[in-house]
Amino acid sequence: MRGYVITGDTTYLGPYQSARRTLSSRLAGLRGLTSDNPAQQRRLDSLETLVATRLERFQWTIDTRRTGGLAAAGRAMIGGRGKELIQQVHEVVTGMEDDEERLLAQRSATLQARARVARLAAWSGALLAIILAVVAGALITRELAGRRRAERTLGETQRRFQQMLASSTAVIYANAVSGATFSPTWVSENVTRITGYGPDEPLQPTWWLDNLHPDDRARVLAEMATEYRFRGKDGAYHWVHDEARLLRDAAGKPTEVVGSWVDITDRRRAEVSLRASEERLRLLVGSVRDYAIYMLDPEGHVRSWNVGARQIKGYTESEILGQHFSRFYTPEDVAAEKPAAALRAAVASGRFEEENWRLRKDGSRFWADVVITAVRDDRGALVGFAKVTRDLTERKRAEQALRASEEQLRQYATQLEAANKELEAFSYSVSHDLRAPLRSLDGFSQALLEDYHDRLDDTGRDFLQRVRAASQRMGTLIDDLLSLSRVTRGGLQVTEVNLSALATALAAELQRSDPQRDVRFAIAPDLVARGDPGLMRIVLQNLLGNAWKFTGKRSPARVEVGSMAHDGGRAFFVQDDGAGFDMAHAAKLFGAFQRLHASDEFPGSGIGLATVQRIIHRHGGQVWAEGTPGRGATFYFTL
Amino acid sequence: MHDRSILLVEDNPDDEALTRRALAKNNIQNEIILARDGAEALDWLFGTGPHTGRPAVPELVLLDLKLPKVDGLEVLRRIRANPNTRLLPVVILTSSREERDVVTGYGLGANSYIRKPVDFGQFVEAVRQLGLYWLVLNEPPPHPDAA
Repeated sequence: MRGYVITGDTTYLGPYQSARRTLSSRLAGLRGLTSDNPAQQRRLDSLETLVATRLERFQWTIDTRRTGGLAAAGRAMIGGRGKELIQQVHEVVTGMEDDEERLLAQRSATLQARARVARLAAWSGALLAIILAVVAGALITRELAGRRRAERTLGETQRRFQQMLASSTAVIYANAVSGATFSPTWVSENVTRITGYGPDEPLQPTWWLDNLHPDDRARVLAEMATEYRFRGKDGAYHWVHDEARLLRDAAGKPTEVVGSWVDITDRRRAEVSLRASEERLRLLVGSVRDYAIYMLDPEGHVRSWNVGARQIKGYTESEILGQHFSRFYTPEDVAAEKPAAALRAAVASGRFEEENWRLRKDGSRFWADVVITAVRDDRGALVGFAKVTRDLTERKRAEQALRASEEQLRQYATQLEAANKELEAFSYSVSHDLRAPLRSLDGFSQALLEDYHDRLDDTGRDFLQRVRAASQRMGTLIDDLLSLSRVTRGGLQVTEVNLSALATALAAELQRSDPQRDVRFAIAPDLVARGDPGLMRIVLQNLLGNAWKFTGKRSPARVEVGSMAHDGGRAFFVQDDGAGFDMAHAAKLFGAFQRLHASDEFPGSGIGLATVQRIIHRHGGQVWAEGTPGRGATFYFTL
Repeated sequence: MHDRSILLVEDNPDDEALTRRALAKNNIQNEIILARDGAEALDWLFGTGPHTGRPAVPELVLLDLKLPKVDGLEVLRRIRANPNTRLLPVVILTSSREERDVVTGYGLGANSYIRKPVDFGQFVEAVRQLGLYWLVLNEPPPHPDAA
């Protein structure tokens, strides 16, 4: 109806038309049902009137819409008595309904009496149901309490488990397996502490593979290697040990991978360092050629072998491994059970050391320095012996040679000492006995000259003078020889010697011995040397004496004593402007009894410079000379 | 009592003759008692052996060192060890001037050490000086018996 008013479409009038057709027959039906009740019949009368009025209004509205359009029909609906009519209809219908309900109540009371028997039966059934319900309730309550307890226990276990995991260094994980793909489903919270990743990151499908070291990826995937490098959140790689287990369902199909995962970086580092150190030791021991270094098991069987061992003992590694070390001993040592004794000693005191003969593979003997050290494990149990052997044959030989040469040296020393004693005795004897005949020769020649002067002619007296001169020269020779031999005997008393003072004193002595000579000495001050003062005196005595002697034909003569730089040290010199010498004969100068001048020209024994040389050499110094005939000579010496 | 004698201990007859000649040339008239070796010298000094009860009491001993039987240094040692001869002037008159002889000689209490020169002229001069010194200038120690 309203649809038609708004749209003007007649199809909306369909329900209205059909309701209008059925209304009269429905009202007739109501009259039939309430025919036994006059009050209801009356109400039906007024209802029929009201309905007719309402229908008329509907028809008017439809007509208005058809002729006047929407605006007119809307006004007709709002302005008409529609509402009032519906209210009246409603009041009539409510009155009819109340009446009918009252009737129903009366009729129900009649029915209740009839149903009482049936109701009793029904109550019995209900009671049974209640009993059943109570029983069931009790059962359910008990079941619920059990479940709560179980839940509490489970919670406790879970709490403990969480604490354990949190404090553990092992990360626990689970992966679901579906075919060939794994997807992380759970990981323990300590993963954050250990790897630095947040709790959700490890559950990303590619987290594990992304952080697996690229170099380890192939190995881990192909060989199921359990140790690999894994990148932490900070970017640094850690070595981890991964133990995984594949869980299968009842049908044997893989369902889940669970595992644990430990950071072993420290252990790995220690292992690497240990391996490196072991490798270094192995290389070191392996390359040692001068020492046989090898291991024995507790029973004495060879367990390792190095180059040095091969070199010294002659066995190759394959020949000797597993052999008993007693084969290195000589048969007599084996018979004396020395190998076992050596091991016992090493066990008892930790270490056994000896030098003895050992056998090579070829049976030859070598002198060995052997050290056996007992090797024990952490708990002190004997695991074997480390054996270091050195071939000292050469040293032994050298020692023997040394001993032999020392013995020889001792013999030489003894001989030398004997020779020296002999020389000393000889000198002593010379000193005493050789001179006595000379004294007789001289003395009695003199006695002849004195007592028999008138019986001798000039020639006879001349001969006796020659005998005397010869005796005296011989006496001087003997004295010089003795002084030469004296400088080689006795120890050196080395102190600081003031050569300037010594030379000055000697020069004064020379001047006193022959005051007629005009010799000018130029002695440098502060000439200091380290030497034996007595021997230094003899050196200067000879050199100055020579200078004095060989300047005998020059007046005034000049003698200089000084020093100069020489070969990093100082050389002293005594220079004169006397007779000099030919350098061609320089080599002869220092030999005993060598003379470069005729003795009637410059007297002398030819021993003075030999004595000087011997003294200088005893001081570890050098002596040499330069000269020009007629221009003088210079004698140099170092100390 | 000093008998003003000189005990000459000398095994070499040549040296003995030359020494006597040198003494004579210097007009030293003292009696010369000769001992040919050390033992004889000690017998003379201590009145032992052939000289038992008659010890010589010389004014001076001229002692050679290299002697048969008992050598000169040993003689000197025993002279100095004996109270009767302890202060006796002893001049070592010998060929050698080996340092050890000189040192030992003085060490044992020699009063002088004179080396006999080869040149007889020098020897005469040496004897002159020692005679002058020991027999004329020097005041000898009192003889123990006289003390």
